[in-house]
Amino acid sequence: MDWQAFALSLRLATVTTVILLAVAVPLAALLVLGRGRWLPALEALAALPMVLPPTVLGFFLLVLLGPRTAFGRGIAALLGHPLAFSFDGLVVGSVIYSLPFAVQPLVAGFSSVDTALVDAARLLGAGPVRLVLSILVPLARRSLLAAVVLSFLHTVGEFGVVLMLGGDIPGATRTLSITLYNQVGNFDYASAERTAATLLGLSVLALAVIYSTQKRGSRGRA
Amino acid sequence: MLKRFFPAMLAIAMVAPLYAQAPLRIAAAADLAPVLPPILQEFQQATGIRAEATFQASAMLTSQIENGAPFDVFMSADLSYPKRLLDAGLADTGGLAVPSTPITYAKGTLVLWERKDSQLPPPSLDLLRNPNLKRLAIANPDRAPYGRAAVAALTSLKLYDDLKPRIVTAENISQTAQFAESGNADAGLISLTSALTPQLANSGSYFVIPRDLYPPIEQGMVIVNKTTQREAAQKLLDFLLSPAVQAQFAKSGLTPVK
Repeated sequence: MDWQAFALSLRLATVTTVILLAVAVPLAALLVLGRGRWLPALEALAALPMVLPPTVLGFFLLVLLGPRTAFGRGIAALLGHPLAFSFDGLVVGSVIYSLPFAVQPLVAGFSSVDTALVDAARLLGAGPVRLVLSILVPLARRSLLAAVVLSFLHTVGEFGVVLMLGGDIPGATRTLSITLYNQVGNFDYASAERTAATLLGLSVLALAVIYSTQKRGSRGRA
Repeated sequence: MLKRFFPAMLAIAMVAPLYAQAPLRIAAAADLAPVLPPILQEFQQATGIRAEATFQASAMLTSQIENGAPFDVFMSADLSYPKRLLDAGLADTGGLAVPSTPITYAKGTLVLWERKDSQLPPPSLDLLRNPNLKRLAIANPDRAPYGRAAVAALTSLKLYDDLKPRIVTAENISQTAQFAESGNADAGLISLTSALTPQLANSGSYFVIPRDLYPPIEQGMVIVNKTTQREAAQKLLDFLLSPAVQAQFAKSGLTPVK
């Protein structure tokens, strides 16, 4: 078992999930509570990475944000190194790649909160921040859990972006899914089986957590 | 108008390939990506046989063939991977050579490539010793023969341990060129076939790594046993060894064997 890659995948997924929560909670609240013609466009943009081939994203990050564009040089000056071949680069890629998996459950959860509660809170003078943190988030906490677990897992399973952007550096960009690819390429099927089983186990475990909390929730409500 | 005919066109487009002769499928090492497509077109003009190539790292293709990928011919960037298939009884040489040895069709050349607009000195062995060389791209030495040659050359120069933390590994030799060409790596140890493509010839320059620094990159091919088009595959092998194609290899950055 490649524990270094295992730890790296978990670290990447944790950092990505934390950033995603900070981005996705306000974004989902805006999509649910906001008014405006541009909202569907914003919603489409937030859902785009779900249908976009990861290789497209990898290509954009590698070339458009690479050292040959002014924007890429700005990033390189800021970080002290180009985005490609670095953990930071993978974080940027993962945040974009997993964004819909954080936003979608939150939008669904926030939408299912009783509008009477939202209106009442507004009448009592709650501002948007208070509304989100005291009404929407607590009432949609199961959706929040789903968003966390799905973002985390989707990032662990990320492959196309990492393959295009990573450069296979142990401890920095060699994630568990890249290790699996390497093991198959090196005909080391025994190790590949263990890596694949680890990834499979992680996914099953996490989904079991989501579904068990949802079951308990619906029973409680009925 | 278009709308009315669209369902019929769609139906034809879906059914037609079933009746056409299936193309010859070539599993080809990534260093052949700039070389092989025009040669396969000439092959079709000469014989009427359509051939399509898939380009990847040699080891990845070997792994795919071992797991039943429907290829007819395998053109590796070394001899060890086709040998592996021969030994496993998954491939043969079509009676063209000793049955246990892949047919050598060309030799590869390793070059150090760098963008012309780089801040660093032009490519040479000294560039590899330059402390300002922060990122050097090589192909994965575990599965790409050019990657293995790159590590061998750096080891011969006693630079490998020093450079190791600054090496970025690409999936195959095409991606190595891409890492360097896009400027994400400062330089790359790539194949001469990539360096001679118009795109890379325009944007950069190369230095041929002295051949005594790495074992020769002998490139071998075999026929995959499961092929249903043995005759066509055999014709392709003969075509690739013909003087005309060998001369074309020489112009594209491969050393001919005939």
